[in-house]
Amino acid sequence: MAVSADPPRVFPVDDFVREELYPGYRQAFGSQPFVAGPVRPFSLADNERYWLRDSLHFSEGMVPASIATLDDAQTWGAQLGAEIVGVPPTRGSVNRLAGTHVYIGTIDVDTQWQVQARAARFGQYVSPILADFGSYWSMRAAELTAAYEYFDHLDLAAMSPAELWTTLKDAYAFHRRAWFIHFEVMYVLTANYLAFYALAEEIGLQGSSVSSFLSGQQTFYSRTDEELWRLAGLARSLGLDGALTQGSPADMLIRVRALPGGATWVAEFDAFLAVYGQRSEETCRIDTPSWIEDPSPALYSIAGFLAKPTGFDFHAARSAAMLERDAQIDAARRSVNGSDLARFNQALASNQAANFAWWNEEHNYLIDRRAAIPIRRATLALGAQLTDAGRIADPSDMFYLFKPELFEVMESGGSGRWADLAAMIPDRRAYFEHWRERGPSLPTMLGTIPDTVPDPIMIEVFGLSGHFLETLRRDPAAGFGTGVVEIRGFPAAKGVAEGVARVITTVGDLHTVQPGEVLVCGGTTTEWTPAFGIILACVCDTGGSLTHAAIVSREYGIPCVVGTAVATTMIKTGDRVRVDGRAGTVQVLG
Amino acid sequence: MTDAARSDAVVDLAAVRAADAPAVGPKMARLGQLASTGWRVPDGYAITVGALEGWLPATARSELHRLFSVPATGPASLRLSQQARELIEGQSLPSWLADAVADAHARLAARTGRGDALLVAVRSSAVGEDGHAASFAGQYETYLGVSGPDEVLRHIVKCWASGYSAHALDYRRRFGGSGPLRAHDLAVGVLELVDARSAGVAFTLDPVTGDRGRLVVEANWGLGESVVSGQVTPDYWTVERDSGRILERRTGGKLVWSVLASSGEAGGTVLAPLPAELAQAPCLTDDEVRYICRQAAAIEAAEGAPQDVEWAIARDLDLPDSVYFLQHRPETTWASAAPESGAAPAASPAAAPAFDPVQYALRNVFKVPGT
Repeated sequence: MAVSADPPRVFPVDDFVREELYPGYRQAFGSQPFVAGPVRPFSLADNERYWLRDSLHFSEGMVPASIATLDDAQTWGAQLGAEIVGVPPTRGSVNRLAGTHVYIGTIDVDTQWQVQARAARFGQYVSPILADFGSYWSMRAAELTAAYEYFDHLDLAAMSPAELWTTLKDAYAFHRRAWFIHFEVMYVLTANYLAFYALAEEIGLQGSSVSSFLSGQQTFYSRTDEELWRLAGLARSLGLDGALTQGSPADMLIRVRALPGGATWVAEFDAFLAVYGQRSEETCRIDTPSWIEDPSPALYSIAGFLAKPTGFDFHAARSAAMLERDAQIDAARRSVNGSDLARFNQALASNQAANFAWWNEEHNYLIDRRAAIPIRRATLALGAQLTDAGRIADPSDMFYLFKPELFEVMESGGSGRWADLAAMIPDRRAYFEHWRERGPSLPTMLGTIPDTVPDPIMIEVFGLSGHFLETLRRDPAAGFGTGVVEIRGFPAAKGVAEGVARVITTVGDLHTVQPGEVLVCGGTTTEWTPAFGIILACVCDTGGSLTHAAIVSREYGIPCVVGTAVATTMIKTGDRVRVDGRAGTVQVLG
Repeated sequence: MTDAARSDAVVDLAAVRAADAPAVGPKMARLGQLASTGWRVPDGYAITVGALEGWLPATARSELHRLFSVPATGPASLRLSQQARELIEGQSLPSWLADAVADAHARLAARTGRGDALLVAVRSSAVGEDGHAASFAGQYETYLGVSGPDEVLRHIVKCWASGYSAHALDYRRRFGGSGPLRAHDLAVGVLELVDARSAGVAFTLDPVTGDRGRLVVEANWGLGESVVSGQVTPDYWTVERDSGRILERRTGGKLVWSVLASSGEAGGTVLAPLPAELAQAPCLTDDEVRYICRQAAAIEAAEGAPQDVEWAIARDLDLPDSVYFLQHRPETTWASAAPESGAAPAASPAAAPAFDPVQYALRNVFKVPGT
């Protein structure tokens, strides 16, 4: 595989430079988070820094109303979390938009005094939390759960406009709080994990192996999957599988209801949604429904499971994963001794009690996929009243207003501004659609590709390893010769598999994956989890040892290679590929 | 099997004693012994090892042989395990045994006064399980909330098939030595399901340090499954053995509980989010904690070795009538190595410098000068 002589290092942002964030809107001071900087369009100065496309969390672009939630989450939440926890090398993340698509950058701390001051603060803040993480997380989880109890049980349809407006403001306040909790916990756990990682390297183990020492704990998502498989099995035993494997999800439910036993199944499905359905498909996206509103993702998963001749033995898979984990821990223990072994045992115990690999999955159900649902519900309820009052044409028009615009018009009670706002909505809808179509063709990174990245989160979660950056610095068109192409990445879950590739760029297309295919994608999140029960192997452009795909592949016992940088570019749906999860290679056999 | 042997194939728990372990497995034998010496246990019956020996039809046996004729590891062994379990679960018990189980079930329904509403736990009780040398806990399945003789029969077969889980197969490879096709020595217990308000485990020593001066209780609301399977951060108490004083308590971290699945016919349990008003509340009173510890210590004294004891507190009954003992087994981690009495554990922290993840991260991850 040839490397071009003079590799391009800058992917210019110039094409994406804008003054306005959307037609008719500039990010105002009022919306600016106080720590480091709000979500903005690119400016030319951004060519000096690196920017990673975050298709992991936001694959289809952001409508105007989602800018405020993005601001509160990955921008403000990360910055405040890093500030309060006192993470020494980073002040959190900052976001830019290319059109409507999210790129993430980091803010390095580069003066020695600040590093020292943060280090002192960090020790004081993190130590007591790690000493009793169970109690600490329980407390935070209870706070979030109590808020959902409140918001989920509000009768929005019976509210006056003033009450709805109050509810919407409460929902925004809660969302912001949820994201502070998110980043506070994340940075605390990151430190624990990275200490273990560095210790492992110091005593002669593979640092990347420590995440597999921490696997095997059940999460809300593994339980969701088990329930989906159970529902698939129930459908099969009731003879409903034919009705669930054709047509649109809405048709599926209508056909199932009409069959004998169908009502029983639908009642079970509704009971499932009541527990597991308070989740949307993407983070911060006000425009995406929860499963309760639109259960299509759950129905597609069930249809996918029914395409396999047998069920999935979760107990066996989990047992095997735990045995594998225990065997790896035993092997690690055998290879070190004396005080190294004692330190290994203490670091392992600390990480088992405060387990990033587990939390990285589990928290999504309390934060990432749920925190914006109260805002969505209140927004749509308010939108319905405004539609009735003739202010807007449709409740979903609300998605095309920015939060500061909405706050201004609602707080001032002025009706004149509604006409101006409503007039911009068609343009903004078109703008969103334009960029949604362009999404898959946007570069993985923009700006100056660095040699290394200091922020550990960017390495272990987003996968910005040295190899990843080096691959991106090559010219992909010139870099690969004829014959069998081999792509390298991070060896995330062992095993070898050969099969037909299915390249997916957005979670919305996940239902097209067929049993026995090799999934090739940018990266996966919890929404992708059900697919792991039917695929042969998984290959991702992004990701490191802590990535969702790595963790879930180990639980399902399939090979996985992440952080390849170029898999979705180099592999086409239908290609035959051979994935070696131990070597971290993917061969494209044509 | 002779008619005489057939008549002993299913036995009521009241007739079971410790010496019956080779026939009903140690789990059921200990429970029968416990009941006979006055502890409150759920009523039930056991299907003996002899009754289940060789029940699998010859065609299914040869199919199993074929499956396991090639060694397999990793995902292949998972598939193998799945195929074996499906094959076994597709078979039916012989009709004489089905009749004997139905009779025993009818007797139990009458004794408990529950009639058709009777819900039971179907528990694997393997001979060679829970040995002192190594813990076989969890090699075979237990099914809760099973209703009616037909479902009981189906779950007996499932228990038997669970001996072919990947976990159990691997375990046998590592500790059993004789490969996947060695016959199961499996008995099955069928016990009335306690309608548990709260349930959990008591350890007659501190399972982390091995300190025998303390007992530890872990518990959650609802059925004990969430605690036993480690799916919840349970409420936690340590109790001083000599004084019965509660030394430590950690409550309020519970997010989920195990409850019976709402779909009656299928049975089983589900893990559901815990209602908010229960999440923060301790699931046992101090009196309950102390009572459970006293009884666990008495069981330990009778057995002559540290035990872990599973128990449940029946809804709507008062202490002490509310407390049922479900099973107990020798505590295996510290059974051979535990310090004798209330002294601190032998493992000396002075032997190695303590590992502080925060300081280590500052020095070796964030590389802050001077840390």
